[in-house]
Amino acid sequence: MREVYVAGIGITSFTRLEYPLVEIAAYPAMMALQDSGLKKVDHVFVANMASGRINHQTGLASAVVDNLSLTPAGAETIENGPASGASAIKAGFMAVASGLHDVVLVTGAERLREVNNLDATDAVATLTHPLAEYIYGVTLPSLAGMFTRLYMKKYGVTSRHLAMVAVKNHDNAMLNPFAHIHQKITLEGIIDSPEAMTNNPMVADPIRFFDCCPVSDGAACLILTTKEVAQKSGHPLVRLAGVGQATDTHAVHDREDPTELLAVRGAAAQAFKMAGVKPSDVDVAELHDAFTILEIVESEEVGFFKKGEGHLALERGETRLGGRIPINTSGGLKAKGHPVGATGVGQAHEIVQQLRGEAGKRQVKDAKTGFTCNFGGFGNNVVCLTFVREG
Amino acid sequence: MEKSILGYKCTKCAQVHYPNRTLCRKCGHNEFTTLPLPKSGKLLTFTHLYTLPADFEVTSIGLGIVELDGGTRITGQLEIEKPEIGMKVRGDVKMVRNDGYNNYYGMVFYRA
Amino acid sequence: MSIDLEKILRPVDSPMPLYPPKYMTLASGETMVVRQVGREEIPQILPHVEPLIHVERDFYNIVAARVYAELLGYYCHRVQDEYVLVAQVNGELAAVVNGRMVSKDVGMSYHTLALKRGERIGAHAFAAKMEYHMDILGQKEVLIVAESPIGFRRWMIEYKLEKRFEIPHELGGPPSWALTRELFDAARDTLLVGRRPVPEAALAKAKAGILPPIDPPTPAADFLAATRSQYDSTGTALLPPGKTAQKPKRSE
Repeated sequence: MREVYVAGIGITSFTRLEYPLVEIAAYPAMMALQDSGLKKVDHVFVANMASGRINHQTGLASAVVDNLSLTPAGAETIENGPASGASAIKAGFMAVASGLHDVVLVTGAERLREVNNLDATDAVATLTHPLAEYIYGVTLPSLAGMFTRLYMKKYGVTSRHLAMVAVKNHDNAMLNPFAHIHQKITLEGIIDSPEAMTNNPMVADPIRFFDCCPVSDGAACLILTTKEVAQKSGHPLVRLAGVGQATDTHAVHDREDPTELLAVRGAAAQAFKMAGVKPSDVDVAELHDAFTILEIVESEEVGFFKKGEGHLALERGETRLGGRIPINTSGGLKAKGHPVGATGVGQAHEIVQQLRGEAGKRQVKDAKTGFTCNFGGFGNNVVCLTFVREG
Repeated sequence: MEKSILGYKCTKCAQVHYPNRTLCRKCGHNEFTTLPLPKSGKLLTFTHLYTLPADFEVTSIGLGIVELDGGTRITGQLEIEKPEIGMKVRGDVKMVRNDGYNNYYGMVFYRA
Repeated sequence: MSIDLEKILRPVDSPMPLYPPKYMTLASGETMVVRQVGREEIPQILPHVEPLIHVERDFYNIVAARVYAELLGYYCHRVQDEYVLVAQVNGELAAVVNGRMVSKDVGMSYHTLALKRGERIGAHAFAAKMEYHMDILGQKEVLIVAESPIGFRRWMIEYKLEKRFEIPHELGGPPSWALTRELFDAARDTLLVGRRPVPEAALAKAKAGILPPIDPPTPAADFLAATRSQYDSTGTALLPPGKTAQKPKRSE
């Protein structure tokens, strides 16, 4: 197997983008091509979840490869729900590692804000089991609500812990010019003051408004290639050292212990093993905090903290910038935004920036090993990636 | 006729699945018989959802996961004022959603 | 004589008790003051409303245009029994709400315009307006319509408003919805917030002047332009939020 390196990266603001989806997808690809100095690629993977339903456009990859004038390179759309982004990176990894292609462009793009919030939530809710969950009105926030209730009871996590994740990630996003939410929030404003419960209304008891990520448009791109090609880009060498993926039951109620995210555990273990690193080696991580509870639980399941102790580490400040293992330096899905198909690529973009030392005010000092966890469905399809800086 | 939700019982290992599977999760066998699932059980977890898809006329609904007698688990709507984890519930199959063209039936749980 | 004609044109306002100012903490931790303004302060508000008339998204254009007209109507004595409340954060204008007393028992809600987004500011201001009708004016019900889907979700769904479809609303005659005393009492605990009295310094700051909003909604990029490159080859998508694309210069 050949080793796979990142030669170029690009990203758009995660916000409401009032451009055609194809242009949104192509824009960061243009930036990544400029960043890498490459003019041609062998293959294009486009990650997207809902273009057919929301934007009335299918066959997105064919449109993107043409818009970028990269034809006749091969092109495919990768759809794996909210984990589409990391899945597309994994596909790119397989293509380069196997020797099938030398230069692969992976761009993730989503434009959900073309429709109103209710329709966007419903589009995402189609990820749930159509007969056993969706018909009841089950949405992703409601699954998160039921999950959070169990977790609170079992491990003593409180609404305050959840709010601390939100405050931390909003603070990080203030340092990220591409983030969707540039709004400072405080524990006083969303938990303590007499008005807090109205400022921060219930969405799916016990999940509140500031526990949920926004609905974003956006796109991000990575160019994966061999060591020889990557060296010519002139950037510090970042290797995609490990990929891991695991699945779990489709219906959440089917899981033996619904407080365990076995797919996260399995995917992370594979991604660490392939890279030959331990969770304790990780300097910076992007976890899939579509709901604040998920950042806490994923930080346990991937192995940064013991099961049931993630919220304690959060209390001690270990996960904030300057802490032992900064999590979601970009602002995370919570504040950087969650353009579903682009999210996984956006996480990788942040890690590559951190490892290259290009993260500006949110730079983690001397970051050498980075990790991403991209979470599909409600934990039924998870892709984890490990990146390592060389030299 | 009283409606029931159907479980799928593997003809080889007798594991009951809900929802259905093409291959048994326990033994990999591909033949099942259907059986009506029990309607009472205990509540494992719940939520109250305030942001509903646009086709719902109500402003919020209760949702929960219930372990039915016999051990099969099911997601359903709750019509319970103040639910508690572990409480006994009884269910009834009712219309749970109408998208303008079709009626969908599912389990609604009440305090037992 | 013109003076006499003005007397005919100008409706005579009924006596209306003033809204006692209140304050609240926002999600950001900042303090927001909600207070009633008189005619003398309207000229300070108009310049901040006018730019929103050109924001063609989320129905800001129609709401801003109508609020502008209603504020002028109040200022020039052309609407009877109108009132205007403003919400301010550090003196900056965050929201404008207004309405009218139709009779002793019935109120007419006009508009809610949020100039700062993402912190439920519009919702807080709307609740204050309902509080004015119910608790201060002591009315039995308030007639309401929504001009945007966001408004519909906030008012019709969150307050579970009743239909009064037989009554055309003053805003263009669409069927009205009503907030009754019962519904208001049911929503009181969750939707109505605020503390009184407002600390003197905060109230003085608010009254000292209505400052321009710091990050008001801005016009969207021109979607009708065929492609981004036509007007922005440098990458609008990469601009930090708050900066928007220049409209394309079309060749003549």
